[in-house]
Amino acid sequence: MSKPEINGVVSTNAKVRMTIILVAIVGVYAYTSWATRSTPMDIIRGWGGFQRILTDLFPPNWAYAPQVWEKLVETIQMAIIATTFAAIISVPIFLLSAANLFPNAWIHQPVRFIMNVLRTIPDILLAIIFVGIFGVGVFPGIMALFIFSLGLLAKLMYETIESIDMNPLDAIRASGGNTIQVIWYAVMPQVLPQFVSFSLYVFEVNVRASTVLGFVGAGGIGLLLQQQISFFNFPRVMTIIIIIFIAVVIIDYISNKIRERIV
Amino acid sequence: MDLVMPPKKKRSTAKIIRNIIIAIALIALYVWTFTTIDVRWDRVFSERTIENFGRVIPQLFSPDWAAFQKIMVLMWQTLQMAYTGTLLAAILAIPFGFFAASNMVKSKVLNNISKGFLNGIRAFPELVLALMFVAAVGPRPFAGVLAIAIGSIGMLGKLYSEVIESIDMHVVEALQANGANKIQVLFYGVIPQIIPEFLSYAIYRFEIDVRASTILGIIGAGGIGTLITISISNRKWDEVGMILLVIIVVVTIIDYLSAAIRKRIV
Amino acid sequence: MIEFKDVSLVYPNGTQGLKNVNLKINQGEFVVIVGLSGAGKSTLIRSMNRLVTPTSGQLLIDDDDILPYNQRKLRKLRTEVGMIFQNYNLVKRSTVMKNVISGRLGHTGTFASLFNLFPKEAVSLAYRSLERVNIAEKVYMRADQLSGGQQQRVAIARVLTQQPKIILADEPVASLDPPTSHQVMTYLRKVNKEDNITTIVNLHFIDMAMEYADRIIGMRAGEVVFDGPASEVSEQTFEEIYGRKIREDDLVGGPDDE
Repeated sequence: MSKPEINGVVSTNAKVRMTIILVAIVGVYAYTSWATRSTPMDIIRGWGGFQRILTDLFPPNWAYAPQVWEKLVETIQMAIIATTFAAIISVPIFLLSAANLFPNAWIHQPVRFIMNVLRTIPDILLAIIFVGIFGVGVFPGIMALFIFSLGLLAKLMYETIESIDMNPLDAIRASGGNTIQVIWYAVMPQVLPQFVSFSLYVFEVNVRASTVLGFVGAGGIGLLLQQQISFFNFPRVMTIIIIIFIAVVIIDYISNKIRERIV
Repeated sequence: MDLVMPPKKKRSTAKIIRNIIIAIALIALYVWTFTTIDVRWDRVFSERTIENFGRVIPQLFSPDWAAFQKIMVLMWQTLQMAYTGTLLAAILAIPFGFFAASNMVKSKVLNNISKGFLNGIRAFPELVLALMFVAAVGPRPFAGVLAIAIGSIGMLGKLYSEVIESIDMHVVEALQANGANKIQVLFYGVIPQIIPEFLSYAIYRFEIDVRASTILGIIGAGGIGTLITISISNRKWDEVGMILLVIIVVVTIIDYLSAAIRKRIV
Repeated sequence: MIEFKDVSLVYPNGTQGLKNVNLKINQGEFVVIVGLSGAGKSTLIRSMNRLVTPTSGQLLIDDDDILPYNQRKLRKLRTEVGMIFQNYNLVKRSTVMKNVISGRLGHTGTFASLFNLFPKEAVSLAYRSLERVNIAEKVYMRADQLSGGQQQRVAIARVLTQQPKIILADEPVASLDPPTSHQVMTYLRKVNKEDNITTIVNLHFIDMAMEYADRIIGMRAGEVVFDGPASEVSEQTFEEIYGRKIREDDLVGGPDDE
């Protein structure tokens, strides 16, 4: 490598590189925003639309709120059930995915691979497929949430396990414990707080996700959203949106408070 | 033989009561959830389900390659939407991040307002935002871009503020002691410390936004989601299978590239 | 009784961990193994509970060759051989009691151990082991709230709860200060004499080795280069074992040296 030219505070090499990267990023942006018709010009032109929708949405139709409540409850229950089952079933899965517990690549790689694939599928797409099989209702929604959270929780947990202190495991194995005892006595105490914390986090994600699954027929408050939009009844739509908003904020708040106290 | 046993574990009564209350609350929550949820078991375990199973699953797993081209075109549009939206959000979130950081903007009121605003945005599922934008500007990718951008500002703003709050303030102090003015401190002391992490988080958010963009089309906001609705209503599950395959592959590649780039940045 | 017959260990990458080791250790002996880092001390000790496995020769414990042992016999072997580690290896978040009673896991069924259903005798044994190392009052404290020396004593209590025939200690005092190190070594000797448990310790402090051992085994490059009673050992012997002059950091110093 030749001596850098001392032309200024930053070496020319670095300047050239940074400029190229910046130009590339801005250039791509110019292209993509043109291709999707989302340039600043479009924003200005769309301004009238923004104003219109705001007047349509406000004021929200509060009288509609009681009918929303029942569906909201259903939404949260879907999230509870899906998270619970995902938490339970994820345990053997993330244990098997941990390279430090099961060094044999034939064991942990396939498990990880399958989980990663499941995580790339958007939950609504899963919901659509399940509705196609099981029909409209909460069951396909719960299944979709379950599969998605399984992948998410498993990934968070096996990353945690791979960073634990391996020493206590040696000790328990040296005193004659079998694999299950090693996991229960040396691994679990180290990861339990994280597990509870992650489970609550996944619950938060599931509540958000389940609010829209109903849009494709998989149960929950999304169904009302879809109905009211198809009627162009925007004040009611706003009521639903506000109720979703409040519910998510409250649940996030409670969940964060609990998680702070655990870890 | 008399065994020497360890002393009984002292348990404060307050703790015992608290544990009992938590246990009861959890049991009640679960009983209520499982008894009142309305699962239509008769439909789930019906003949129609088995029929559907036999129809949908095999078609899902034999993707329709004929549709590949039109799927790729829309997938490309999806990526464009995600890129535009994320980049917009990555820039727009910066001032919010600064206002929410207690070590940069010293006014607690401004901090809390910004944090509240960011948290507020994060409570909206992206689909809901997209619905509103479709109603505002029509069923176009533009609506999707806006939804992605607004939605991402929430998460990026929060992450940005955390990065800013965790910088080494000694560097800032040293620069101030040397007589630098506020802007110089910003450019020489703060920004160099935050750029790698900001970039890293923006790229991470891009991953998430690609996933989100794939389904916004279901409600008309552009991208490959539009094709999903069409294929479903035509019951062409092999097309859905192809879409699924494309999404899985593209998202996996993006995740992989994103992780590789981020490792090199930080 | 432990007997090494021509035991060698070659690692997969070709390095020789042990080379033609021949040893006979009788029940109740207090043996200290010395040598430089990499000399094979750890490998020698860990072959006795098969945390590492020699590649040739025979290793007899009570006249039974442990090298071809299957999983089940291995588990049984390990319940009879206790181990103490340099890093104490306690589960930091668990209480002292839970750590100590995990010494009984080899004797307890999987199902029972998942639900903490240890027999009363086991709990009593655990508590009495804690009393023997004078740390019984900390029985319900979290392990990470104890000092290094206290944690090592809990580790000794855990090993005692196993009721082993042999105790292996792999650099048990390397992380401790001199007074605490002497304290731990004293406990190890006490247990060795009171229960007649064969105790084999790895040390790299030569003054400590000379003070506490009955018998000293010196290793270099995987081979046994010295084997004799501690009374016959002097600093010169160590220089021969190490192959170099003795330095200050080879000595731990006494409780009064500071």
